[in-house]
Amino acid sequence: MKVIPISILCLLSVSTVYAQRLVKEDTVRTVLLQEVKVTGKQKNQQQNLFQYFSANKAATTEDVLARLPELSMVRRGSYGMEPVIRSFNSGQVNLLLDGMRIHGACTDKMDPASIYVEPANLQSIEVRTNGGSFLNGSSVGGSINMKLAEATCHDERVFSGTANSGYHSAARSYYQSLNLNYATYKWGITATGTYRKSNNYRDGSGKRVDFSQYEKVNYSIHGKYMLNENTYLKLDLLADDGWNIGYAALPMDVGYANARIGALTFVKENLGNGWQKLEAKLYANQVKHYMDDTHRPNVPIHMDMPGKSATSGMYAEGTTSIGRNQQLTLRADASVTALKASMTMYQEGTSPMYMLTWPDNRQVQSGVAAQYLLQLDSITQLQVSARADYSDFSLTTQEGKDHLAVFGYNGQAVNHFIPSVSVQLSRNLHRNLKATVSLGMNGRTPTASELFGFYLFNQFDGYDYIGNPGLKQETAQQAELTLQWRKSKWKVQATGYASRVSNYIIGKYDPKYSVMTAGARGVKVYENLGHALLTGAEGSVIFNPVPQTQIVSVLKYAYTRDNAGNALPMIAPLRNITSVKQNIHRLWLQGELETAAAQNRVSKAANEKQTGEFYLCHFRMGYNGQAKGFRWQLNGGVENIFDAYYREHLDWGNIARQGRNFYLQLGIGF
Amino acid sequence: MLCLYMPETGMLPPSPHSNYYNAFNSFVMKRYFPALCFIALSAIVTSCSKDNIEPAPVAIPHQKIADGFAIGAGVKVELYARKALSTGYNTVYFALYDSISKAPIEKAQLSMLPMMDMGTMKHSAPAEQPGTAAKDRLFTGALVFTMPSGEMGSWTVEVNITNGTKQGKLILPVTIANAPAARLKSFVSKVDNAKFIVAYIEPSAPKVGVNDMEIAIFRSKSMMEFPADSSLSVALTPEMPTMGHGSPNNVDPVHITKGHYKGKVNFTMTGLWYLNLDFKAGAAISNDNTFFEVNF
Repeated sequence: MKVIPISILCLLSVSTVYAQRLVKEDTVRTVLLQEVKVTGKQKNQQQNLFQYFSANKAATTEDVLARLPELSMVRRGSYGMEPVIRSFNSGQVNLLLDGMRIHGACTDKMDPASIYVEPANLQSIEVRTNGGSFLNGSSVGGSINMKLAEATCHDERVFSGTANSGYHSAARSYYQSLNLNYATYKWGITATGTYRKSNNYRDGSGKRVDFSQYEKVNYSIHGKYMLNENTYLKLDLLADDGWNIGYAALPMDVGYANARIGALTFVKENLGNGWQKLEAKLYANQVKHYMDDTHRPNVPIHMDMPGKSATSGMYAEGTTSIGRNQQLTLRADASVTALKASMTMYQEGTSPMYMLTWPDNRQVQSGVAAQYLLQLDSITQLQVSARADYSDFSLTTQEGKDHLAVFGYNGQAVNHFIPSVSVQLSRNLHRNLKATVSLGMNGRTPTASELFGFYLFNQFDGYDYIGNPGLKQETAQQAELTLQWRKSKWKVQATGYASRVSNYIIGKYDPKYSVMTAGARGVKVYENLGHALLTGAEGSVIFNPVPQTQIVSVLKYAYTRDNAGNALPMIAPLRNITSVKQNIHRLWLQGELETAAAQNRVSKAANEKQTGEFYLCHFRMGYNGQAKGFRWQLNGGVENIFDAYYREHLDWGNIARQGRNFYLQLGIGF
Repeated sequence: MLCLYMPETGMLPPSPHSNYYNAFNSFVMKRYFPALCFIALSAIVTSCSKDNIEPAPVAIPHQKIADGFAIGAGVKVELYARKALSTGYNTVYFALYDSISKAPIEKAQLSMLPMMDMGTMKHSAPAEQPGTAAKDRLFTGALVFTMPSGEMGSWTVEVNITNGTKQGKLILPVTIANAPAARLKSFVSKVDNAKFIVAYIEPSAPKVGVNDMEIAIFRSKSMMEFPADSSLSVALTPEMPTMGHGSPNNVDPVHITKGHYKGKVNFTMTGLWYLNLDFKAGAAISNDNTFFEVNF
């Protein structure tokens, strides 16, 4: 019955992803890696790959990210996949929204910040690996910055919009999104709205996977006001409400997950006296998350698990030319994040069982950073980055302090000073060959869960986790070498990297503690492991034998070990995606082969399961049409054509992924 | 101001008799003279009132349980407790007044004897006698009631007072409610068949976190004799019966004084907890199936 109003909606409406990609073909809707901007307009390999994979308009942000050589997705349900860089985990990677810090409100990491934005909200995603810059924040694993879409101003008044609608058969899911823009020479405004609903999906064996459903809406308003020719103000307001979100791999689902995000940005460009750009932002966001097990059968004891996070902060950043072929970027930022999460269990005849899983706590962070870029000669470029971060963590209520007093923590100060520095040198060794070497030292603070977590159950290894306020910060030494070879029809890039992480933070089984969660295997306490080695390689090839044909292949491999020689948990196996695309006028056809090797090198300490190899074949096609006054676009395809029954190594639980899936997507823009 | 001024002039710091000092002094006096006068005046007034006016009686921050006159001693006795008396350990407070002048009595010899009259038989219960001196006008002791008042029988507390040279006795009838959760346990030692009474004292206001744990152990020697016991060692194991888990880092209660054992109990969440207590006499297990319930 719902289909009728929804189809009307799609006829009337138009979507954002589409608009951005169609209208602003030149904008930075890119993945920038190891940001090197000086060399001009030439797109780097990652930008090319991003463009290639995002040409499939039916793909979600997660689909596209998962195909990039540097990224992997940790999956707990069909919703809310967590992007991680290489073998680093979410605590080691900074996930930022347009430079803003935003902290999920779920103690079980069900809500990485990326779930609170839609592709409709985004202009680009910048992925910076650890060898490159860390202007935005200290981390050992790099940063992912999701850049918000921006309203535009226009000489004449322009009203434009796009609408998208799509359907996927495996989950009987559909989505609608609408994007409207209005621009004058003085101001511009963009409003977006997205609605998604997904039912339980069907896996490769034909079975429906219970608790894989979700539903959400997302609204945003982006405004821009020109103060003068070179100066403008931006206002971003986002609201994202998800509900009835199933997490098949977890014992609980999510009742609701709501985010409210607001930012005011001041931008000044071409200031003269060398300053190219100054940007200052004030922001605040709040996330509320509520775990729920009322729909689960055979729940031994019913529990509620609400969580809340609130962050506010600011930053200022400026870029200046300080001489011939030299550029300096300076940044200062500060933020405050407050977290609280609790659990209440209900058992007849006794008082409700209530505890704080994140005892009320606060992180105050401030940092300064500088990045210096020097074009030594026509073929050599040097980049030096440095950052210093100071973070102070504290428990803010007596109740919270009482909780951790159980483990002997009596409120001693927890603060971390983290210096980072990296040097990156690029040089064209040959007309077609460019090499980039980077060396760096950096670090990260422990996360709130690692410091203050109070019996957080981790379904992945089946242990309850207890925080440790005495943790030392993680520090890392990194080395990275990238070779890039370009010749008319070929674009080839290969990267090798190694990180030695000292004081690697990981949970360690402590038999002293008794489990809190029924059925848990034991209790782990976060500890600093002597050191761990994370190394690997990734490569990609883009080959155009003829202009209408494109062949793309991406390969990634990672190897890790701790100081005892054991594997770290959650390390993706060797993986390859090879894709062939053929353009025939306005029509394109694409075949894709996705291969993953088995992962047999697993962490016994984390009770990790081995994962088998799999092959997937996809077929996609699209047509770009134009009719009087508007453009349209139709995409369709079949994913997992042979209905393979498989799971990826980074998927939690023994939950199979989607089986054969037919999809169709229609976009209209005016 | 002085500090700013000195380097400019290059002068030495001013002596107390210098102009600066005088200027400063007169400045203070001018500015604050009315305030100083007021303070001086009010000091005089209050000191006068102390001599002349009878102070208002200090309110006793507890619930009054019973009162009466100990005739021979010439004393009015008021019995207080934190809340209505119930089975288990009750801290009690006595306020004594001269029965004629109503003046509070701060020094007296005070002893009490709880008695249960069950018709066919009578028995007493453990008691901790108040000292001879009051603190904040209260003589503090404790009564450990072993059963509630009711059809089975009724409780009285016999109070004997020596006030200077005068002696008197008073019997206060009291009603003992049944505590919502058992606050008193008893066991017969496996080692020597001695009978022990264990009274729960703390935590009285349990919270998630670290709580003080206190119990008092009495030996039941006869119907009338309940000496405090310090011979046992105690092991504490908290447990949530509905969840089947415990809590870490508890501290076993150890004997401090007069049969009181103190330790720490940690609760990791609210709800129903069992505080399992194992008692040992030396290395031998005296009892290992005693527990108190805490539901909060």
